[in-house]
Amino acid sequence: MNVNLALSAILIITLLLLLFTRRQKMRSSGAALRPLSAIAALDDRLGEAIESGRQVHVSLGQGGLTGTAAPTSVAAAHILTHLAQEGSASGAAPLATVGEGALLPLAQESLRRAHDEVGRIRDYKPSMAQFVAAETEPYAFAGGVASVMQQNNVGGNVMVGRFGPEIAIIAETAARQNINQVIGTDDPSALAAATAVTGDLLVGEELFAADAYLEGSPSQIASLQVQDILRAVIAAVILILALVNYLNG
Amino acid sequence: MFKRNLPLAIAISFGALTLLGLLFLPDLSRLILSWAAFLAAAALLLGVLNLFAIHLQRLTKEGSLYSGILILGMTAVFGLAITDQLSITQNGVMTAFNWIQAPLEAALASLLAFFLLFAGFQTLKRQRSLWTVLFVATAVILLISQALTATTLLPDNVRDLFNAIQNNINNIIAVAGMRGLLIGIALGAITLSLRLLLGMDQPYNK
Repeated sequence: MNVNLALSAILIITLLLLLFTRRQKMRSSGAALRPLSAIAALDDRLGEAIESGRQVHVSLGQGGLTGTAAPTSVAAAHILTHLAQEGSASGAAPLATVGEGALLPLAQESLRRAHDEVGRIRDYKPSMAQFVAAETEPYAFAGGVASVMQQNNVGGNVMVGRFGPEIAIIAETAARQNINQVIGTDDPSALAAATAVTGDLLVGEELFAADAYLEGSPSQIASLQVQDILRAVIAAVILILALVNYLNG
Repeated sequence: MFKRNLPLAIAISFGALTLLGLLFLPDLSRLILSWAAFLAAAALLLGVLNLFAIHLQRLTKEGSLYSGILILGMTAVFGLAITDQLSITQNGVMTAFNWIQAPLEAALASLLAFFLLFAGFQTLKRQRSLWTVLFVATAVILLISQALTATTLLPDNVRDLFNAIQNNINNIIAVAGMRGLLIGIALGAITLSLRLLLGMDQPYNK
């Protein structure tokens, strides 16, 4: 019960901070965000693909919408929506692959709405989002995504969401085809594998921050500020506890 | 207006109920999560149908051999599931899984280390920064020290030295980095979840 109360307190404090900073952000104009090269690279990958008359491949990984990976998948869906809006306006909508059943309707809806918004709903096909393998089969997913990339006219690769170390197989396939990539995930083992392949990485929390960079609504900017405040508090608590432990021998 | 507000109301109320359930009413949370699991299972079925439809289309329109193999495999496993159910065959699906799927996945998994090592050296060739050198050097040191500590050819004091290097890298540097990463991820997940709960973010309503 004590743990639950502590969790409730953390949620309430975060909630209040979020509401307060959002209100402040709505009053002020603009926000200074530190540059993230991987965010700029997203549009670069799309631009390269459009220029070469090819598609950007976006994989949303194998995190679902009902478990602990749900926030990661929602954050990844924001990136797909952005690329779908930009791409469909130029007639080069992304090709999406998913490794979890619930992500398929999410990806299809993102692509459909993006086409609808730019008045190109006739160009939309449900097959633009493909289910590859269930989340229990990570290597089947990796092999399937690699084959989707090889069989389609892919000019850029964006992998955002929950992946495991098998991401190396997909990334290596893309690298062998000289396809530039952006990878964003919250899994440490996947990040380690991705570091070896590309410099354009969205490391953990940067994936959650991507929507603030791409859309920049007051609530998104406010949540970045809340994260900074909480991070500083946690760092201070860790340092104080370490010091107390050290002094107590 | 109704079309836009209804999903928002459903998302906020079920999110709040699940959160309350997780914190104070576990039975309620279990009930809602079981509904979500049912929806996820239905979505998986849709996913499988999507995979089948896309590859069937590719087979008929482009004559793709890989798509043909996939359709054949899916149909064969489905057939085996039916014959298992009717007791015509016994453990047909599991046999197919153990003889085909498991060895293929094991082969891919064992290739992973080579993929990573190759990718690491490619990165070193492509982008020779301090961080890349540090990344590859750490990986090589860990691989070598693991191999050396496993052999009995080296004297004990040398093996102890390699063990100490390994432990310091794994337990201090890697763990510290990983904890920092996980704290950042947790904070990002909490704020995003709260935004969804409050309806500030509506990925279903864009």
